[in-house]
Amino acid sequence: MDVAVSRNGARILRVFFFLVVVLLYAPILILLIFSFNDSDLPTFPLSGFTLEWYRQFLHDGELHTALRTSAIVAVLSSIGAVTLGVLASLALRRRFKGMAAFSALLLSPLVIPYIVFGISLLLFFHSVGVGLSFATLTIAHIVLSVPYTILVLVPRLEQIDSSLEEAARDLGATRLRTFRSILLPLILPAIVSAFLIALTVSFDEYAVASFVAGSQTTFPIYLYGALRFPSRLPEVIAVAVVVMTASLIVVVGAELGRRHAEGRLGEIEPS
Amino acid sequence: MTTGTGDGLPAAPARPRRRHDLTTPVLLGLPLGWLIVFFVVPICFVGAYSVGVLSLFPGAHHLTFTTWHDFLHGSVYLTLFWRSVRMSLIVSVLVVLFAYPLAYFLALSGTKRKYVLLLVLIAPFLTSYLLRVLAWKVILGSNGVLNSLLFWTGLRSPDHPISQLLYSKFAVMLVLGYVWLPFVALPIFVSLESLDRRLLEAASDLGASRWQSFRKITLPLSLPGVAAAFMFVFIPTVGEFVTPSLVGGVTGYMYGNQISDLFGAGLDWQTGSVLSLFLLFVVAGLTLVFSRFLQIGRVTTG
Repeated sequence: MDVAVSRNGARILRVFFFLVVVLLYAPILILLIFSFNDSDLPTFPLSGFTLEWYRQFLHDGELHTALRTSAIVAVLSSIGAVTLGVLASLALRRRFKGMAAFSALLLSPLVIPYIVFGISLLLFFHSVGVGLSFATLTIAHIVLSVPYTILVLVPRLEQIDSSLEEAARDLGATRLRTFRSILLPLILPAIVSAFLIALTVSFDEYAVASFVAGSQTTFPIYLYGALRFPSRLPEVIAVAVVVMTASLIVVVGAELGRRHAEGRLGEIEPS
Repeated sequence: MTTGTGDGLPAAPARPRRRHDLTTPVLLGLPLGWLIVFFVVPICFVGAYSVGVLSLFPGAHHLTFTTWHDFLHGSVYLTLFWRSVRMSLIVSVLVVLFAYPLAYFLALSGTKRKYVLLLVLIAPFLTSYLLRVLAWKVILGSNGVLNSLLFWTGLRSPDHPISQLLYSKFAVMLVLGYVWLPFVALPIFVSLESLDRRLLEAASDLGASRWQSFRKITLPLSLPGVAAAFMFVFIPTVGEFVTPSLVGGVTGYMYGNQISDLFGAGLDWQTGSVLSLFLLFVVAGLTLVFSRFLQIGRVTTG
Protein backbone atom coordinates (compact mmCIF):
# COMPACT_ATOMS: atom_id res chain seq x y z
CA MET A 1 0.00 0.00 0.00
CA ASP A 2 1.29 3.42 -0.88
CA VAL A 3 1.37 5.72 2.10
CA ALA A 4 1.24 9.02 0.22
CA VAL A 5 -1.67 8.48 -2.10
CA SER A 6 -4.33 5.85 -2.73
CA ARG A 7 -4.66 4.23 -6.11
CA ASN A 8 -7.75 6.25 -6.95
CA GLY A 9 -6.10 9.39 -5.64
CA ALA A 10 -3.11 8.78 -7.89
CA ARG A 11 -5.44 8.32 -10.85
CA ILE A 12 -7.27 11.57 -10.12
CA LEU A 13 -3.99 13.45 -9.68
CA ARG A 14 -2.70 12.03 -12.95
CA VAL A 15 -5.81 13.13 -14.83
CA PHE A 16 -5.59 16.56 -13.24
CA PHE A 17 -1.92 16.89 -14.13
CA PHE A 18 -2.42 16.02 -17.78
CA LEU A 19 -5.48 18.24 -17.98
CA VAL A 20 -3.43 21.19 -16.74
CA VAL A 21 -0.62 20.36 -19.16
CA VAL A 22 -3.13 20.32 -22.02
CA LEU A 23 -4.49 23.70 -20.90
CA LEU A 24 -0.96 25.10 -20.64
CA TYR A 25 -0.05 24.03 -24.15
CA ALA A 26 -3.42 24.75 -25.77
CA PRO A 27 -2.80 28.49 -26.27
CA ILE A 28 0.58 27.71 -27.82
CA LEU A 29 -1.04 25.12 -30.09
CA ILE A 30 -3.71 27.63 -31.10
CA LEU A 31 -0.98 30.05 -32.15
CA LEU A 32 0.61 27.28 -34.20
CA ILE A 33 -2.67 26.51 -35.99
CA PHE A 34 -3.48 30.12 -36.77
CA SER A 35 0.02 30.88 -37.99
CA PHE A 36 -0.93 28.80 -41.07
CA ASN A 37 -4.45 30.17 -41.37
CA ASP A 38 -5.25 32.16 -44.51
CA SER A 39 -7.09 35.05 -42.85
CA ASP A 40 -6.34 38.42 -41.31
CA LEU A 41 -8.25 37.50 -38.18
CA PRO A 42 -7.66 34.57 -35.86
CA THR A 43 -11.22 33.22 -36.09
CA PHE A 44 -12.95 29.89 -36.66
CA PRO A 45 -13.76 28.38 -39.09
CA LEU A 46 -10.24 28.09 -40.47
CA SER A 47 -10.07 29.51 -43.96
CA GLY A 48 -7.24 27.60 -45.58
CA PHE A 49 -3.55 26.91 -45.40
CA THR A 50 -0.98 29.58 -46.14
CA LEU A 51 2.69 30.31 -45.57
CA GLU A 52 2.10 34.00 -46.26
CA TRP A 53 2.66 35.07 -42.64
CA TYR A 54 5.99 33.28 -42.47
CA ARG A 55 6.94 34.88 -45.78
CA GLN A 56 6.09 38.33 -44.40
CA PHE A 57 8.17 37.58 -41.34
CA LEU A 58 11.14 36.65 -43.51
CA HIS A 59 10.93 40.00 -45.30
CA ASP A 60 10.27 42.26 -42.34
CA GLY A 61 13.39 44.38 -42.01
CA GLU A 62 12.24 46.10 -38.84
CA LEU A 63 11.75 42.77 -37.15
CA HIS A 64 15.17 41.54 -38.24
CA THR A 65 16.80 44.64 -36.77
CA ALA A 66 14.93 44.09 -33.51
CA LEU A 67 15.97 40.44 -33.37
CA ARG A 68 19.59 41.38 -34.07
CA THR A 69 19.57 44.07 -31.35
CA SER A 70 18.12 41.63 -28.85
CA ALA A 71 20.60 38.94 -29.80
CA ILE A 72 23.59 41.25 -29.37
CA VAL A 73 22.35 42.65 -26.06
CA ALA A 74 21.58 39.12 -24.87
CA VAL A 75 25.04 37.80 -25.73
CA LEU A 76 26.92 40.79 -24.28
CA SER A 77 24.86 40.92 -21.10
CA SER A 78 25.16 37.16 -20.63
CA ILE A 79 28.94 37.31 -20.95
CA GLY A 80 28.95 40.11 -18.40
CA ALA A 81 26.57 38.36 -16.04
CA VAL A 82 28.41 35.04 -16.19
CA THR A 83 31.74 36.77 -15.55
CA LEU A 84 30.36 38.58 -12.51
CA GLY A 85 28.55 35.43 -11.45
CA VAL A 86 31.70 33.30 -11.57
CA LEU A 87 33.68 35.88 -9.58
CA ALA A 88 30.95 36.22 -6.98
CA SER A 89 30.40 32.46 -6.69
CA LEU A 90 34.12 31.88 -6.18
CA ALA A 91 34.11 34.55 -3.49
CA LEU A 92 31.07 32.96 -1.85
CA ARG A 93 32.97 29.67 -1.52
CA ARG A 94 35.25 31.30 0.99
CA ARG A 95 34.06 32.43 4.36
CA PHE A 96 34.31 36.14 4.95
CA LYS A 97 32.75 38.83 7.04
CA GLY A 98 29.57 40.28 5.57
CA MET A 99 28.97 37.26 3.38
CA ALA A 100 25.25 37.11 4.17
CA ALA A 101 24.79 40.74 3.19
CA PHE A 102 26.86 40.23 0.04
CA SER A 103 24.81 37.30 -1.17
CA ALA A 104 21.55 39.04 -0.26
CA LEU A 105 22.62 42.02 -2.38
CA LEU A 106 23.59 39.79 -5.31
CA LEU A 107 20.26 37.98 -5.23
CA SER A 108 18.07 41.03 -4.60
CA PRO A 109 17.46 41.78 -8.31
CA LEU A 110 15.34 38.60 -8.24
CA VAL A 111 12.75 40.19 -5.99
CA ILE A 112 12.71 43.82 -7.06
CA PRO A 113 9.64 44.69 -9.13
CA TYR A 114 11.04 45.20 -12.64
CA ILE A 115 9.16 48.45 -13.09
CA VAL A 116 10.89 49.91 -10.03
CA PHE A 117 14.31 48.81 -11.28
CA GLY A 118 13.61 50.21 -14.75
CA ILE A 119 12.58 53.54 -13.32
CA SER A 120 15.49 53.79 -10.91
CA LEU A 121 17.92 53.23 -13.78
CA LEU A 122 16.06 55.77 -15.92
CA LEU A 123 16.33 58.40 -13.17
CA PHE A 124 19.94 57.48 -12.48
CA PHE A 125 21.12 57.68 -16.09
CA HIS A 126 19.13 60.86 -16.64
CA SER A 127 20.59 62.53 -13.55
CA VAL A 128 24.20 61.67 -14.28
CA GLY A 129 23.74 62.66 -17.90
CA VAL A 130 24.24 59.30 -19.60
CA GLY A 131 22.16 58.90 -22.75
CA LEU A 132 20.03 55.80 -23.07
CA SER A 133 21.45 53.33 -25.54
CA PHE A 134 22.56 49.84 -26.25
CA ALA A 135 25.04 50.16 -23.38
CA THR A 136 22.53 51.19 -20.72
CA LEU A 137 20.28 48.29 -21.72
CA THR A 138 23.17 45.83 -21.51
CA ILE A 139 24.13 47.18 -18.09
CA ALA A 140 20.56 46.70 -16.86
CA HIS A 141 20.34 43.15 -18.17
CA ILE A 142 23.61 42.20 -16.53
CA VAL A 143 22.17 43.24 -13.15
CA LEU A 144 19.02 41.20 -13.80
CA SER A 145 20.90 38.07 -14.88
CA VAL A 146 23.62 37.95 -12.22
CA PRO A 147 21.42 36.30 -9.55
CA TYR A 148 20.39 33.52 -11.95
CA THR A 149 24.02 32.75 -12.79
CA ILE A 150 24.87 32.60 -9.08
CA LEU A 151 21.96 30.28 -8.36
CA VAL A 152 23.31 27.89 -10.99
CA LEU A 153 27.02 28.22 -10.15
CA VAL A 154 27.09 28.14 -6.34
CA PRO A 155 25.47 24.70 -5.91
CA ARG A 156 27.82 23.32 -8.56
CA LEU A 157 30.90 24.75 -6.86
CA GLU A 158 29.73 23.34 -3.54
CA GLN A 159 29.81 19.83 -4.97
CA ILE A 160 33.46 20.11 -5.89
CA ASP A 161 35.85 18.57 -3.44
CA SER A 162 38.19 21.32 -2.27
CA SER A 163 40.98 18.77 -1.78
CA LEU A 164 41.40 18.81 -5.58
CA GLU A 165 42.34 22.47 -5.47
CA GLU A 166 44.47 22.05 -2.38
CA ALA A 167 46.37 19.29 -4.09
CA ALA A 168 47.02 21.48 -7.12
CA ARG A 169 48.14 24.32 -4.89
CA ASP A 170 50.44 22.01 -2.94
CA LEU A 171 51.95 20.88 -6.20
CA GLY A 172 52.84 24.47 -6.90
CA ALA A 173 50.10 25.67 -9.22
CA THR A 174 49.22 29.35 -9.01
CA ARG A 175 45.67 30.37 -8.12
CA LEU A 176 44.91 31.25 -11.70
CA ARG A 177 46.37 27.99 -12.95
CA THR A 178 44.39 26.04 -10.33
CA PHE A 179 41.23 27.78 -11.45
CA ARG A 180 41.92 27.16 -15.13
CA SER A 181 42.96 23.54 -14.88
CA ILE A 182 40.83 22.27 -12.01
CA LEU A 183 37.78 24.39 -11.31
CA LEU A 184 36.94 25.70 -14.74
CA PRO A 185 36.59 22.30 -16.44
CA LEU A 186 34.48 21.06 -13.54
CA ILE A 187 32.07 23.99 -13.56
CA LEU A 188 31.96 24.38 -17.33
CA PRO A 189 28.54 22.69 -17.70
CA ALA A 190 27.16 25.02 -15.03
CA ILE A 191 28.73 28.01 -16.80
CA VAL A 192 27.08 26.99 -20.04
CA SER A 193 23.68 26.61 -18.43
CA ALA A 194 24.10 29.89 -16.54
CA PHE A 195 24.93 31.54 -19.86
CA LEU A 196 21.85 30.08 -21.53
CA ILE A 197 19.60 31.19 -18.68
CA ALA A 198 21.06 34.70 -18.86
CA LEU A 199 20.45 34.69 -22.62
CA THR A 200 16.78 33.88 -22.18
CA VAL A 201 16.36 36.40 -19.36
CA SER A 202 17.74 39.18 -21.53
CA PHE A 203 16.15 38.12 -24.81
CA ASP A 204 12.68 38.07 -23.27
CA GLU A 205 12.93 41.14 -21.07
CA TYR A 206 10.50 43.97 -21.79
CA ALA A 207 9.68 45.85 -18.58
CA VAL A 208 13.14 47.23 -17.80
CA ALA A 209 14.08 47.58 -21.46
CA SER A 210 11.07 49.81 -22.06
CA PHE A 211 12.62 52.37 -19.70
CA VAL A 212 16.32 52.17 -20.50
CA ALA A 213 16.59 51.13 -24.15
CA GLY A 214 16.19 54.67 -25.48
CA SER A 215 15.63 54.52 -29.22
CA GLN A 216 16.82 50.93 -29.51
CA THR A 217 14.11 48.49 -30.50
CA THR A 218 14.61 45.08 -28.98
CA PHE A 219 12.53 42.08 -29.98
CA PRO A 220 10.14 42.36 -26.98
CA ILE A 221 9.76 46.09 -27.62
CA TYR A 222 8.97 45.37 -31.25
CA LEU A 223 6.43 42.72 -30.22
CA TYR A 224 4.77 45.00 -27.71
CA GLY A 225 4.38 47.64 -30.39
CA ALA A 226 3.11 45.16 -32.97
CA LEU A 227 0.54 43.81 -30.52
CA ARG A 228 -1.22 47.15 -30.64
CA PHE A 229 -1.83 46.96 -34.39
CA PRO A 230 -4.38 44.27 -35.26
CA SER A 231 -3.32 44.30 -38.91
CA ARG A 232 0.05 42.87 -37.96
CA LEU A 233 -1.38 40.14 -35.80
CA PRO A 234 -1.02 37.21 -38.24
CA GLU A 235 2.63 37.98 -38.86
CA VAL A 236 3.29 38.32 -35.12
CA ILE A 237 1.64 34.95 -34.57
CA ALA A 238 4.04 33.39 -37.08
CA VAL A 239 6.98 35.05 -35.32
CA ALA A 240 5.64 33.78 -32.02
CA VAL A 241 5.58 30.20 -33.27
CA VAL A 242 9.15 30.40 -34.55
CA VAL A 243 10.54 32.02 -31.39
CA MET A 244 8.64 29.74 -29.02
CA THR A 245 9.75 26.63 -30.85
CA ALA A 246 13.34 27.82 -30.88
CA SER A 247 13.34 28.70 -27.19
CA LEU A 248 11.70 25.40 -26.23
CA ILE A 249 14.41 23.55 -28.12
CA VAL A 250 17.18 25.59 -26.47
CA VAL A 251 15.71 25.19 -23.00
CA VAL A 252 14.99 21.48 -23.21
CA GLY A 253 18.32 20.86 -24.91
CA ALA A 254 20.20 22.83 -22.27
CA GLU A 255 18.48 20.96 -19.47
CA LEU A 256 19.13 17.55 -20.98
CA GLY A 257 22.72 18.52 -21.74
CA ARG A 258 23.26 19.73 -18.20
CA ARG A 259 21.86 16.54 -16.68
CA HIS A 260 23.98 14.45 -19.01
CA ALA A 261 27.17 16.40 -18.27
CA GLU A 262 26.58 16.50 -14.52
CA GLY A 263 25.72 12.82 -14.51
CA ARG A 264 29.09 12.11 -16.08
CA LEU A 265 30.93 14.42 -13.69
CA GLY A 266 29.19 12.76 -10.77
CA GLU A 267 30.79 9.47 -11.75
CA ILE A 268 34.38 10.64 -11.72
CA GLU A 269 34.15 12.83 -8.72
CA PRO A 270 33.91 12.17 -5.02
CA SER A 271 30.83 13.85 -3.65
CA MET B 1 41.28 12.94 -13.16
CA THR B 2 40.99 10.29 -10.48
CA THR B 3 38.91 10.36 -7.39
CA GLY B 4 40.00 11.14 -3.87
CA THR B 5 43.34 12.68 -4.72
CA GLY B 6 44.05 13.61 -1.15
CA ASP B 7 42.93 10.39 0.44
CA GLY B 8 45.51 7.91 -0.81
CA LEU B 9 48.56 10.08 -0.18
CA PRO B 10 50.30 10.29 3.12
CA ALA B 11 48.97 13.33 4.88
CA ALA B 12 51.27 16.17 3.94
CA PRO B 13 51.66 18.82 6.60
CA ALA B 14 48.84 21.20 5.81
CA ARG B 15 50.10 24.48 4.55
CA PRO B 16 48.84 27.08 7.01
CA ARG B 17 46.15 29.12 5.24
CA ARG B 18 46.95 32.75 5.09
CA ARG B 19 44.38 34.62 7.14
CA HIS B 20 44.45 37.80 5.14
CA ASP B 21 43.77 36.47 1.73
CA LEU B 22 43.90 39.11 -0.95
CA THR B 23 41.96 37.03 -3.44
CA THR B 24 38.57 37.43 -1.83
CA PRO B 25 38.43 41.24 -2.21
CA VAL B 26 39.61 40.87 -5.80
CA LEU B 27 36.83 38.40 -6.56
CA LEU B 28 34.28 40.46 -4.67
CA GLY B 29 35.19 43.84 -6.09
CA LEU B 30 33.68 43.70 -9.55
CA PRO B 31 30.28 42.10 -8.78
CA LEU B 32 29.88 44.16 -5.65
CA GLY B 33 30.79 47.38 -7.43
CA TRP B 34 28.48 46.65 -10.34
CA LEU B 35 25.50 45.94 -8.10
CA ILE B 36 26.16 49.03 -5.98
CA VAL B 37 26.57 51.43 -8.90
CA PHE B 38 23.80 50.07 -11.11
CA PHE B 39 21.35 48.80 -8.53
CA VAL B 40 21.68 50.37 -5.10
CA VAL B 41 22.64 53.89 -6.17
CA PRO B 42 19.83 54.18 -8.75
CA ILE B 43 17.30 53.25 -6.03
CA CYS B 44 18.77 56.05 -3.89
CA PHE B 45 18.12 58.38 -6.83
CA VAL B 46 14.45 57.37 -6.76
CA GLY B 47 14.49 58.32 -3.09
CA ALA B 48 16.02 61.69 -3.95
CA TYR B 49 13.38 62.35 -6.61
CA SER B 50 10.57 61.30 -4.26
CA VAL B 51 11.45 64.04 -1.75
CA GLY B 52 12.21 66.69 -4.35
CA VAL B 53 15.99 66.84 -3.80
CA LEU B 54 16.33 65.99 -7.47
CA SER B 55 13.79 67.07 -10.04
CA LEU B 56 13.00 66.72 -13.70
CA PHE B 57 12.57 70.47 -13.94
CA PRO B 58 15.46 72.83 -13.29
CA GLY B 59 15.31 75.17 -10.34
CA ALA B 60 12.81 73.30 -8.25
CA HIS B 61 15.14 71.44 -5.92
CA HIS B 62 14.15 71.56 -2.32
CA LEU B 63 13.43 68.93 0.26
CA THR B 64 9.72 68.32 0.67
CA PHE B 65 7.61 65.49 1.97
CA THR B 66 4.28 66.76 0.67
CA THR B 67 4.17 64.20 -2.13
CA TRP B 68 4.68 61.39 0.37
CA HIS B 69 2.11 62.94 2.68
CA ASP B 70 -0.47 63.31 -0.08
CA PHE B 71 0.17 59.78 -1.24
CA LEU B 72 -0.24 58.22 2.18
CA HIS B 73 -3.34 60.18 3.13
CA GLY B 74 -6.21 58.86 1.10
CA SER B 75 -4.92 59.36 -2.42
CA VAL B 76 -6.42 57.54 -5.39
CA TYR B 77 -3.00 55.97 -5.85
CA LEU B 78 -3.22 54.18 -2.53
CA THR B 79 -6.69 52.89 -3.40
CA LEU B 80 -5.31 51.60 -6.68
CA PHE B 81 -2.44 49.98 -4.81
CA TRP B 82 -4.77 47.98 -2.58
CA ARG B 83 -6.84 47.01 -5.59
CA SER B 84 -3.71 45.64 -7.27
CA VAL B 85 -2.71 43.85 -4.07
CA ARG B 86 -6.13 42.23 -3.98
CA MET B 87 -5.91 41.09 -7.62
CA SER B 88 -2.42 39.82 -7.08
CA LEU B 89 -3.38 38.00 -3.88
CA ILE B 90 -6.26 36.22 -5.59
CA VAL B 91 -4.01 35.17 -8.46
CA SER B 92 -1.26 33.95 -6.12
CA VAL B 93 -3.59 31.93 -3.90
CA LEU B 94 -5.40 30.32 -6.83
CA VAL B 95 -2.18 29.51 -8.61
CA VAL B 96 -0.68 27.89 -5.50
CA LEU B 97 -3.88 25.87 -4.98
CA PHE B 98 -3.61 24.61 -8.55
CA ALA B 99 0.11 23.97 -8.38
CA TYR B 100 0.03 21.96 -5.15
CA PRO B 101 -1.71 18.86 -6.55
CA LEU B 102 0.55 19.06 -9.62
CA ALA B 103 3.66 19.04 -7.47
CA TYR B 104 2.15 16.38 -5.21
CA PHE B 105 1.51 14.16 -8.20
CA LEU B 106 5.08 14.53 -9.45
CA ALA B 107 6.79 14.15 -6.08
CA LEU B 108 4.75 11.61 -4.17
CA SER B 109 2.54 9.49 -6.38
CA GLY B 110 5.43 7.28 -7.45
CA THR B 111 5.08 8.25 -11.07
CA LYS B 112 7.88 7.24 -13.42
CA ARG B 113 9.89 9.88 -15.25
CA LYS B 114 8.93 12.60 -12.83
CA TYR B 115 11.76 14.89 -13.93
CA VAL B 116 10.72 14.63 -17.55
CA LEU B 117 7.16 15.49 -16.57
CA LEU B 118 8.42 18.36 -14.44
CA LEU B 119 10.25 19.73 -17.46
CA VAL B 120 7.10 19.33 -19.56
CA LEU B 121 5.20 21.33 -16.95
CA ILE B 122 7.77 24.10 -16.65
CA ALA B 123 8.81 24.46 -20.29
CA PRO B 124 6.02 26.91 -21.20
CA PHE B 125 7.31 29.21 -18.49
CA LEU B 126 10.65 29.38 -20.23
CA THR B 127 9.27 30.64 -23.52
CA SER B 128 8.62 34.30 -24.20
CA TYR B 129 6.40 36.02 -21.68
CA LEU B 130 4.98 38.50 -24.18
CA LEU B 131 4.13 35.73 -26.60
CA ARG B 132 2.17 33.83 -23.98
CA VAL B 133 0.22 37.01 -23.31
CA LEU B 134 -0.26 37.38 -27.06
CA ALA B 135 -1.78 33.88 -27.22
CA TRP B 136 -4.51 34.94 -24.81
CA LYS B 137 -5.13 38.16 -26.72
CA VAL B 138 -5.74 36.02 -29.78
CA ILE B 139 -8.02 33.67 -27.86
CA LEU B 140 -10.06 36.16 -25.85
CA GLY B 141 -10.50 38.99 -28.36
CA SER B 142 -14.06 39.86 -29.43
CA ASN B 143 -12.90 38.84 -32.92
CA GLY B 144 -10.89 36.06 -31.39
CA VAL B 145 -10.67 32.31 -31.27
CA LEU B 146 -13.06 31.65 -28.41
CA ASN B 147 -15.89 33.88 -29.59
CA SER B 148 -15.62 32.71 -33.19
CA LEU B 149 -15.61 29.11 -32.01
CA LEU B 150 -18.83 29.75 -30.11
CA PHE B 151 -20.45 31.36 -33.16
CA TRP B 152 -19.26 28.64 -35.48
CA THR B 153 -20.55 25.84 -33.32
CA GLY B 154 -23.80 27.72 -32.83
CA LEU B 155 -23.41 27.94 -29.06
CA ARG B 156 -23.81 31.67 -29.23
CA SER B 157 -25.26 34.04 -31.75
CA PRO B 158 -22.77 36.34 -33.54
CA ASP B 159 -24.94 39.29 -32.48
CA HIS B 160 -24.03 38.67 -28.87
CA PRO B 161 -20.34 37.96 -28.50
CA ILE B 162 -18.94 37.64 -24.98
CA SER B 163 -17.45 41.11 -24.91
CA GLN B 164 -16.03 41.13 -21.40
CA LEU B 165 -13.43 38.48 -22.12
CA LEU B 166 -10.57 40.70 -23.17
CA TYR B 167 -9.72 44.08 -21.64
CA SER B 168 -10.96 43.30 -18.18
CA LYS B 169 -9.80 42.52 -14.70
CA PHE B 170 -10.75 38.92 -15.39
CA ALA B 171 -8.43 38.77 -18.41
CA VAL B 172 -5.52 40.18 -16.41
CA MET B 173 -5.96 37.65 -13.64
CA LEU B 174 -6.44 34.75 -16.02
CA VAL B 175 -3.32 35.60 -18.00
CA LEU B 176 -1.19 36.20 -14.90
CA GLY B 177 -2.33 32.87 -13.48
CA TYR B 178 -1.56 31.13 -16.76
CA VAL B 179 1.87 32.70 -17.00
CA TRP B 180 2.98 31.84 -13.46
CA LEU B 181 1.38 28.44 -12.84
CA PRO B 182 4.18 26.26 -14.29
CA PHE B 183 6.91 28.02 -12.34
CA VAL B 184 5.07 27.90 -9.03
CA ALA B 185 4.91 24.11 -9.01
CA LEU B 186 8.72 24.03 -8.75
CA PRO B 187 9.31 25.19 -5.14
CA ILE B 188 6.39 23.07 -3.93
CA PHE B 189 7.79 20.08 -5.79
CA VAL B 190 11.19 20.59 -4.17
CA SER B 191 9.76 20.70 -0.65
CA LEU B 192 7.56 17.62 -1.24
CA GLU B 193 10.42 15.77 -2.91
CA SER B 194 12.66 16.22 0.12
CA LEU B 195 9.97 14.89 2.44
CA ASP B 196 11.13 11.76 4.25
CA ARG B 197 8.65 9.03 3.23
CA ARG B 198 9.48 7.06 6.36
CA LEU B 199 7.49 9.65 8.32
CA LEU B 200 4.41 8.74 6.31
CA GLU B 201 5.10 5.03 6.72
CA ALA B 202 5.45 5.46 10.47
CA ALA B 203 2.20 7.39 10.62
CA SER B 204 0.48 4.70 8.59
CA ASP B 205 1.84 1.96 10.87
CA LEU B 206 0.48 3.84 13.84
CA GLY B 207 -2.94 3.78 12.27
CA ALA B 208 -3.20 7.23 10.71
CA SER B 209 -5.31 7.54 7.60
CA ARG B 210 -3.76 9.12 4.49
CA TRP B 211 -5.76 12.25 5.08
CA GLN B 212 -4.50 12.48 8.67
CA SER B 213 -0.86 12.00 7.57
CA PHE B 214 -1.36 14.62 4.90
CA ARG B 215 -2.74 17.14 7.37
CA LYS B 216 -0.29 16.41 10.18
CA ILE B 217 2.89 15.66 8.23
CA THR B 218 2.97 16.40 4.51
CA LEU B 219 1.21 19.73 4.54
CA PRO B 220 3.14 21.30 7.45
CA LEU B 221 6.48 20.08 6.04
CA SER B 222 5.71 21.48 2.60
CA LEU B 223 4.65 24.89 3.89
CA PRO B 224 8.08 26.48 3.21
CA GLY B 225 7.70 25.50 -0.44
CA VAL B 226 4.16 26.84 -0.48
CA ALA B 227 5.30 30.14 1.03
CA ALA B 228 8.11 30.43 -1.50
CA ALA B 229 5.71 29.63 -4.33
CA PHE B 230 3.30 32.27 -3.11
CA MET B 231 6.04 34.92 -2.99
CA PHE B 232 7.30 33.94 -6.44
CA VAL B 233 3.91 34.87 -7.91
CA PHE B 234 2.93 37.71 -5.64
CA ILE B 235 6.09 39.81 -5.99
CA PRO B 236 6.18 40.05 -9.78
CA THR B 237 2.42 40.33 -10.21
CA VAL B 238 1.76 43.09 -7.70
CA GLY B 239 3.97 45.50 -9.67
CA GLU B 240 2.93 44.15 -13.05
CA PHE B 241 2.21 46.62 -15.83
CA VAL B 242 2.87 44.76 -19.08
CA THR B 243 0.02 42.25 -18.91
CA PRO B 244 -2.61 44.75 -17.72
CA SER B 245 -1.62 47.20 -20.43
CA LEU B 246 -2.06 44.49 -23.08
CA VAL B 247 -5.21 42.73 -21.87
CA GLY B 248 -6.51 44.84 -18.97
CA GLY B 249 -8.36 47.74 -20.53
CA VAL B 250 -9.86 50.17 -18.01
CA THR B 251 -11.00 47.77 -15.29
CA GLY B 252 -7.73 45.84 -15.36
CA TYR B 253 -5.58 48.92 -14.78
CA MET B 254 -3.02 48.20 -12.06
CA TYR B 255 -0.67 50.12 -9.81
CA GLY B 256 2.25 49.36 -12.13
CA ASN B 257 0.41 51.01 -15.01
CA GLN B 258 -0.02 54.10 -12.88
CA ILE B 259 3.72 54.26 -12.21
CA SER B 260 4.50 53.75 -15.86
CA ASP B 261 2.03 56.49 -16.86
CA LEU B 262 3.44 58.97 -14.35
CA PHE B 263 6.86 58.57 -15.93
CA GLY B 264 5.62 58.34 -19.48
CA ALA B 265 2.75 60.61 -20.42
CA GLY B 266 2.31 62.21 -16.99
CA LEU B 267 5.86 63.52 -16.55
CA ASP B 268 5.31 63.63 -12.81
CA TRP B 269 8.54 62.00 -11.74
CA GLN B 270 8.19 62.99 -8.11
CA THR B 271 4.85 61.26 -7.60
CA GLY B 272 6.06 58.37 -9.73
CA SER B 273 9.10 58.00 -7.48
CA VAL B 274 6.95 57.96 -4.37
CA LEU B 275 4.77 55.24 -5.87
CA SER B 276 7.80 53.19 -6.95
CA LEU B 277 9.52 53.44 -3.60
CA PHE B 278 6.35 52.55 -1.73
CA LEU B 279 6.00 49.42 -3.85
CA LEU B 280 9.63 48.58 -3.21
CA PHE B 281 9.23 48.99 0.56
CA VAL B 282 6.19 46.72 0.63
CA VAL B 283 7.88 44.04 -1.46
CA ALA B 284 11.13 44.27 0.52
CA GLY B 285 9.21 44.02 3.79
CA LEU B 286 7.34 40.95 2.59
CA THR B 287 10.55 39.37 1.35
CA LEU B 288 12.19 39.86 4.75
CA VAL B 289 9.20 38.33 6.52
CA PHE B 290 9.14 35.36 4.18
CA SER B 291 12.89 35.04 3.68
CA ARG B 292 13.22 32.13 6.05
CA PHE B 293 10.78 30.26 3.83
CA LEU B 294 12.28 31.38 0.56
CA GLN B 295 15.57 29.47 0.72
CA ILE B 296 16.22 30.34 -2.88
CA GLY B 297 19.35 28.27 -3.17
CA ARG B 298 17.62 25.08 -2.18
CA VAL B 299 14.77 25.68 -4.53
CA THR B 300 16.91 25.84 -7.62
CA THR B 301 19.26 22.99 -6.90
CA GLY B 302 16.35 20.60 -6.58
